[in-house]
Amino acid sequence: MDFTLSAEQQLLKDSVARFATDRRNAHGDVWASFAQLGWLAIGAPEGAGGFGGPVETLLIAEQLGRGLIVSPYVAQAVFAGAILRACDRADWLEASVEGRRRFTVAYEEPHARYDPSAVRTTARRDGDGWVLYGSKVRVSDASSADTVLLSARTGGGIALFALPAHARGLTAAGYPSEDGYDVADLHLDGVRVDDDALVAPPGDGLETLEYGIDNATAALCAEALGLCAVMLEMTVDYTKTRTQFGVPLSSFQALSHRMAEMYVELELLRSMAFYAAMTLETENDSFERKRGISAAKAQVAKSGRFIGQQAIQLHGGIGMSEEYDVGHYFKRMTLVERIFGDRDYHVRRYADLSRLTVLLEPVSV
Amino acid sequence: MDLTYSAAERAFRSEVRDFIATHLPSDIRAKVRGALPLEKDDYARWHRLLFERGWAAPGWPVAHGGTGWNAIERHIFLEEIAAGWAPRMLPFGLSMVAPVIIEFGNDAQRARFLPPILSGDEFWCQGYSEPGAGSDLASLSTKAQRRGDVYVIEGTKTWITAAQWADWIFVLARTDPGAKKQEGISFILVDMRSPGVSVRPIVTIDGGAEINEVHFDNVEVPVANRVGDEGAGWTYAKFLLEHERTGTAGISACRQILEQIDELRERESMTDRRLSERIAEIDIELTALAFTELRVLAAESAGTRPGPESSILKLRGTEIQQALTELLLDAGGPYASASNTRRYYNFRKASIYAGSNEIQKNIIAKRILKV
Repeated sequence: MDFTLSAEQQLLKDSVARFATDRRNAHGDVWASFAQLGWLAIGAPEGAGGFGGPVETLLIAEQLGRGLIVSPYVAQAVFAGAILRACDRADWLEASVEGRRRFTVAYEEPHARYDPSAVRTTARRDGDGWVLYGSKVRVSDASSADTVLLSARTGGGIALFALPAHARGLTAAGYPSEDGYDVADLHLDGVRVDDDALVAPPGDGLETLEYGIDNATAALCAEALGLCAVMLEMTVDYTKTRTQFGVPLSSFQALSHRMAEMYVELELLRSMAFYAAMTLETENDSFERKRGISAAKAQVAKSGRFIGQQAIQLHGGIGMSEEYDVGHYFKRMTLVERIFGDRDYHVRRYADLSRLTVLLEPVSV
Repeated sequence: MDLTYSAAERAFRSEVRDFIATHLPSDIRAKVRGALPLEKDDYARWHRLLFERGWAAPGWPVAHGGTGWNAIERHIFLEEIAAGWAPRMLPFGLSMVAPVIIEFGNDAQRARFLPPILSGDEFWCQGYSEPGAGSDLASLSTKAQRRGDVYVIEGTKTWITAAQWADWIFVLARTDPGAKKQEGISFILVDMRSPGVSVRPIVTIDGGAEINEVHFDNVEVPVANRVGDEGAGWTYAKFLLEHERTGTAGISACRQILEQIDELRERESMTDRRLSERIAEIDIELTALAFTELRVLAAESAGTRPGPESSILKLRGTEIQQALTELLLDAGGPYASASNTRRYYNFRKASIYAGSNEIQKNIIAKRILKV
């Protein structure tokens, strides 16, 4: 184990940081740049042109968070990438790495809250293909994807299908979420696909999906690290320069102690962003992987909420202003808390998995 | 960055685990497991066993008998201590005064004091706080007046853990009463058997008597027992506090309490959803802190000595310790055992000692955030 960045990792981090600084406030499609810079190759097998793993993903997502870059990176590169990897779709991965094909994942349903196993969308056999009915909500970056990887319940359990984004019977109602992200609700009304659209067979779909969610969650934890680090920096700078009662705000102990608490939360968040990456690197056992990721997300959600709320509070009125940056970081963090499960969901998942581990493993003496 | 345990690190873990399993005396293990108070002899026996194995001082340089472990190995060692129900090592000699003697002492002092600390033959305690100097430690008034080649020490030190067992005490005393507050303080090693030293136990709210007041009534101490320069004691004191804080996270002890709560739940067949979620919440927080400790240790072994970051460990570590003793109490419900309430009361001290948690926030604000 070694916490120092290799030369390649440092280079990657610097290059994302440069991009994030330059692209700040710029909009438009960043995907071609991401592909060109090689960032879409992270985690893909070497055969598909890939390199790196969870640590490299962490470095990218952290810097994108610092720059408050709105991009499909987590949804299309990390989430979909992990699922394609788990399904051994090297051909599609290669196309994705090169930026030629774009995949997103649809799994949440209106009734399910965060539970990926609560699937009511159905897929039933129809000749040599399948027909799908149902609804998916909050699908990230569907409008820029050509293919949707979608969970559906079959007679044999949950499966994953790859649907062309413009398949007949598939309608998307897109809307921007409050952090500026591209989100859509999907409706499937008898979408017919061939058998080769089945990417994870009935019974395997849920495990594959959770593998993808866990990878994406780790990336989101790293993004949160970038967001929260900036919020603390902004708060410290602001309270040092803003004068009231004839002195800088930072000279008041009530405020300096609050910032010390924010710092402690930030360091715990940082640790858990690393911990999430470590979990993905080391845990082949899916129980332990899920526990580790849930631990990380639960902590990140808690620390991130505290840092965000206090950043607004310590800025005072200006923190409420739409024109000022800190509020935008806060809004993105508020969504990051929830995406792939909020704190309550992950604490419960962690508690349940811990009990299962106790029941399944013989107690060592 | 490589976040995986290497084969060598995994092998080291089993080596430590095996050693604890085969060498830790079962009566000591039972006491730790049952959260019963340890006697001096319990600490001494376990210390001796680690010393014989060469593992008594993970934090020391190899030249003085340290293990030469890197941060990861030290982290693994602490995890295994917790998992194997071994007691913590008393920090006063090993991780408080020894680093100061190594860093700022002279060769004669290193030769005299380090070997018996390493072997566990001499016990130490810490003479910092005074009745009139708590968080404002630099306002201390214990005097050390130079008379020829001795200092004459006069004053009272308080809140001293394990003074009743100690052979030696390290004392912050004012050698120049005319100097500014932080100047004029010296760091002096005093033999507890010196004429004029008296120890009075302070009974705490948990009924324990592990904390003491130590009174110095014209105690003569050779000038040779002063560490470093006269008047530079405040620098050494701060150095020591940063070392102390790294240890006060108490992750191993927390893991052990967590385990005890889990056992309690199993034994009582508790199915309370709220309880299991509270356990999960603290478990997660502890995981985050343990990983933070690992990062601090890694920075330390990469050459930087423990800095203000160790305040995070002290601050959050003691908060978690307290939350755990609270949970232990709550898990017991109306039948909370006396040992659990005792521990709950006892742990209220954790956020007060080693620089109260409010002082830690001052340190973070001032030295890290520079506000």
